[in-house]
Amino acid sequence: MQGKKLGDYIIEVDRIHKTFPDGIQALYDFSTRIKRSEVVVVIGPSGAGKSTFLRCLNGLEDFDRGTITIDGIPLDDNKENRLEIRKEVGMVFQLFNLFPHMTVLENVNLAQMLVRKKNHNEATKVTMSLLEKVGIPEKAQSYPSQLSGGQQQRVAIARALAMVPKVMLFDEATSALDPEMIGEVLDVMKTLAREGMTMVVVTHEMGFAREVGDRVIFMDEGRTVEEGSVEQIFSNPQEERTKQFISQIL
Amino acid sequence: MAPVNNKSSRHIWFPVIHSPWSDIIKFLLVIAALVWLIYRGTESLGYNWQWHRVSKYILSVEGGKLIFGPLIQGLLVTLRICGWSLVFSFFFGLLTALLRMSDSLVGRSVARCYLELIRNTPLLVQLFFLYFVAAPILGIDRFTAGVLTLSLFEGAYASEIFRAGIVSIARGQWEAAHSLGLSTFHTYRHIVLPQAIRYILPPLTSQAVALIKDSALVSTIAIYDLTMQGQIIISETFLTFEIWFTVAAIYLVLTVVLSTMADIMAYRLKIAS
Repeated sequence: MQGKKLGDYIIEVDRIHKTFPDGIQALYDFSTRIKRSEVVVVIGPSGAGKSTFLRCLNGLEDFDRGTITIDGIPLDDNKENRLEIRKEVGMVFQLFNLFPHMTVLENVNLAQMLVRKKNHNEATKVTMSLLEKVGIPEKAQSYPSQLSGGQQQRVAIARALAMVPKVMLFDEATSALDPEMIGEVLDVMKTLAREGMTMVVVTHEMGFAREVGDRVIFMDEGRTVEEGSVEQIFSNPQEERTKQFISQIL
Repeated sequence: MAPVNNKSSRHIWFPVIHSPWSDIIKFLLVIAALVWLIYRGTESLGYNWQWHRVSKYILSVEGGKLIFGPLIQGLLVTLRICGWSLVFSFFFGLLTALLRMSDSLVGRSVARCYLELIRNTPLLVQLFFLYFVAAPILGIDRFTAGVLTLSLFEGAYASEIFRAGIVSIARGQWEAAHSLGLSTFHTYRHIVLPQAIRYILPPLTSQAVALIKDSALVSTIAIYDLTMQGQIIISETFLTFEIWFTVAAIYLVLTVVLSTMADIMAYRLKIAS
């Protein structure tokens, strides 16, 4: 188990630029470094580039310039490297993106069997323990359409965890949920954070950030406006833009 | 119950007109009218109907053994041609669809050229080209040439169907598969195609029906399929009307069976999801 020691960065992002084909600049000279077991919360107005940053981290989005290194592997044009990074970086989406034609069990088993080459029994064992962890082992044989939003998102988390990722990315994982279901998903995320998972979380859930966040990055217009501890950003922001944003969401 | 005193919509004949029987009766009346029209038409031509002579071209019993007549033999050839063509046209279709959506410029160009070439020339010309030009060069027989032509032709149309089905799968499904480290092959095989098949199946069935109908063209390169056998019988017996009616009916049975099977499959897929 890797501890939180200085200089032990699992994610290194060095001055990445990203312009969309329609000319919109999504990321501008964006850099950050994330330690093992660190929980980084990314906040900012919509269009700030938060999701683009997250999607760049696992190769869903290409970037024009700069470098991203994850656990020593550069995210470059090398297909092997990209595949390796995708295996090691789990992602949870706003709209869950479960596979609707498969049961919960099959959803979580799939990548274990295809990518990690486990047999069905081994995979099922892992899946059941993960479903236990996210609190819905009784739904193993259900189809996603039979589950509530909160349950679907917990399955999506279990599915990502089944790959035993080194980093978990959460892209507004609770934004599409009914208010009464947000708590159950956040609880799972908090458990993960306490267990030492490295997490990059795009969210507006300030309670979550306060409870388990190690660091907050406030982004606007593709850049980091301000970053620091949760306390510092929420209670004592330095930049005018940050103050304005914090006052609006709190 | 709706009130019966509404004169305009609840007429005394209402239950009769709107029962399923009335639909059946209407249908039978239309058919009867058509049959009568044809009968009248042929009568004025002085056509001598001889339906009793048709049966031996379908099935006959000789010495206690069932003998397939030339029409059934032709049907078997048609079935063989359609069976192989169906398999290969799906293969060409899927391959072309995947190439068109691939990252490879060469792949996309090849797929594009194939589609334009096939869709903008007549099937009959393609058949002649493959049989009279390509077949001697490649050393393939007429059956293979026929199957190849039909497969290439229907494959071009099938590829558009596959492509539309694949495109209809939400981007989030790709991204989820991607983020789990699934390869492109695995993503297609386990995520995209199993979901796309539900959108693909109905138009693909129409395409398969078109294939069966288009297969009649192979009679022009002297393959003894159903149509060719029909022509031969007519040239020997002059049973023009009876044989063409019979041939058409056999094709109809074939396509209806296919459509029904596809409907059942679509229904099962719907249940399963």
